[in-house]
Amino acid sequence: MHRYLIVLAFPLALAAQYQGLRNVWIEPGSKETIPATDQFDNPNGSLGVIQASGPVDTNGHPFFTPLGTNGRACVNCHQPTYGMSVSAAGLRERWQATDGKDPVFAAFDGSNCPDLPQDQESSHSLLLHRGLFRIPLPWPPRNPDGTLKPVEFSIEVVRDPTGCNTSREYGLNSAHPMVSVYRRPRPAANLKYVLSGAQPIVLKTGMLADRDPETGKFVSMNLMADAREPSLMTQAINAILGHEEARKEPTPKQLETIVAFESQVYAAQVEHIFAGQLVLPGGPMSLGPAALRDRRAGVLGDNSYDPVFGLFDSWKEKDYYRASIARGADIFMFRQFWLRDATHINSIGLGNPLKRTCATCHNAQMTGQDLSAGWVDVGTTNFPTWTEPATWAETSELPVFKITCSKDADPHPYLGRVIYTTDPGRALISGRCVDVGSIVMQQFRGLSARAPYFSNGSARNLREVVDFYDRRFDMKLSETEKDDLVNFLGVL
Amino acid sequence: MRSAWSLGLLLATAAIAQQRNFLACPIVRDTKTVPCFLAEYQGELYYLGIQQDITAEFHPPQLKHEVLVEGRVAEGPRVCGGIPLKPLSISVVKEVNLACDTLLPAEPGIDAPPAPRGPGPSSRPLVLERPAETRNGKQEFTVHFAFNDDYVEFHAIQAVNQAAAYAKKIGASAVKVTGYRATTLLSNGTSLVEKAGLAEKRAQEVATLLRGSGVASVSADWKADAEPGDGQTDPSRRRVTIVVTP
Repeated sequence: MHRYLIVLAFPLALAAQYQGLRNVWIEPGSKETIPATDQFDNPNGSLGVIQASGPVDTNGHPFFTPLGTNGRACVNCHQPTYGMSVSAAGLRERWQATDGKDPVFAAFDGSNCPDLPQDQESSHSLLLHRGLFRIPLPWPPRNPDGTLKPVEFSIEVVRDPTGCNTSREYGLNSAHPMVSVYRRPRPAANLKYVLSGAQPIVLKTGMLADRDPETGKFVSMNLMADAREPSLMTQAINAILGHEEARKEPTPKQLETIVAFESQVYAAQVEHIFAGQLVLPGGPMSLGPAALRDRRAGVLGDNSYDPVFGLFDSWKEKDYYRASIARGADIFMFRQFWLRDATHINSIGLGNPLKRTCATCHNAQMTGQDLSAGWVDVGTTNFPTWTEPATWAETSELPVFKITCSKDADPHPYLGRVIYTTDPGRALISGRCVDVGSIVMQQFRGLSARAPYFSNGSARNLREVVDFYDRRFDMKLSETEKDDLVNFLGVL
Repeated sequence: MRSAWSLGLLLATAAIAQQRNFLACPIVRDTKTVPCFLAEYQGELYYLGIQQDITAEFHPPQLKHEVLVEGRVAEGPRVCGGIPLKPLSISVVKEVNLACDTLLPAEPGIDAPPAPRGPGPSSRPLVLERPAETRNGKQEFTVHFAFNDDYVEFHAIQAVNQAAAYAKKIGASAVKVTGYRATTLLSNGTSLVEKAGLAEKRAQEVATLLRGSGVASVSADWKADAEPGDGQTDPSRRRVTIVVTP
């Protein structure tokens, strides 16, 4: 009965929530001052954003100022409202508000391909429907010194709905061969956690980790979907040269300011439409951005005494939604299932299958990333577990590549030597067959503010994320368990 | 003298008789706690080990792959329905074999041995680094590999880290890395030889890891020819040695 009342109350509560909706799009060069603490509404409640170093004057600030030629600044794709990322819904609103003229829709990577007619909405469909930016990666990959990396596989374009991978100018057979993949921007917040956990030797590969070119120290390799950038500084340089289409590198002072800004932003949900305020005395220790600011990074949370997102026991006897969130936290930590055929999890000595829980892989305290360098082929991009297309007849906007591994190379551990994929992931950087389809897992914070999910934007909401895992690992989750997991993920 | 020789021969023959070296699909049996990993050979079921964490001595095999089992029949009762093998080395065959897909449900009366870590979150801190051993003078460290594999897995990383720490601590004048490849003699008389070039690849990888860890004066060498197999100690020859000279 209780549940039916809640279902009936849902539209009313949602309507009330949206009456005072605060949803801000910061335009580059807007010269506003960002307060030390701020709050933004989203479909599940509201997100809190903290500037740990105090209010930020954006006037002339290189994160908020276009440094390139297309009018974009970092903030275009890393908006506080959207958890320092950007949601597909927010992008659609932006298209409507600017008639597609906002620099976020720049031809270079804000459209499906630069050679498409840029005034048409359909040319930006991947960004508008799934929040995906085009990531053109040179093929074959190169070392930092410009030399070619050895490559263990050949790559063919099987299906090219955007036209970019077969484009004479931008494609795989162009004068400057490129592979275009389409990925979500990662949140530029809570980054002390993302950057922690560096080890000299990467457990998953037995190879040396990349180094920060400035400090010479080993890095976590958890920053990008394919771990191609070792540090915030190199990421900023290449984002400004690429996404902002700058003709010269930013100055050291600009870089220092960008990195300092990114290193002090914390974002997490602070309010849930039904569970109410999330940061309360005696409540779970992990919720809200202040907890992210204050807690130590680099802590392994795959344990029962100091779990990934803390203990939710105090909510178990509370109201319906808080109890559901607490059950979701328990499912995440304790619900066992068979983890199967996941490269860089099952293949690193843990065995296949592995009877474990979500927290085995999502083990870093406070963010749920992997404390080890986190690229894993969980199956979102590789056939047959990929998110799409179900059949050839299904319309999909993602390209499909055929990867053929050399007979001398180690094959993909579960797919062998011929792999069909919508995004080869880490393999486009490493050139290794075992890495095909491996994507660095991303943090779980501020999820409610930044749908859709997965690096390919295939999950429109958190329920679709849970459904993917349920199918992929045959978890046999009940409807209640799925609801609990969705509610739990929604408050992070 | 003659009787001593005969006794030696008898013991060697007995050891070989107890040795089980074979290729098979692994079998995974669920239990009330962690799953057991088993393999069948000549109509008999052998127990390989249980699921643990990455720090455990035994790293389980993988479904979708055959496993090379090299072990000796151990005393004691069956475990998880299989005859235990100890010492035991297992190597996952790299090529995918979709026929290797047997996952059995738990059954009453078939229990896994006590597991330091259950299937849920850990109840104890994970100790990733071995305590440093007290060493002096010229020292040799050995990095072991699975059959036909150059993956420097968790235990191999520990060995490399220990060698690196020792070399840096004493300011080593020379660190010599030597890679090997080996042969495995199966119980059916077949020899499996590790692929050509593997000794060099192993040596170069370990040398790169040492240099990257800040060790100076690292030289790499390798024995291109595969060492012969004896059916008893073959896993110990799939290795890289690191000799650290003060």
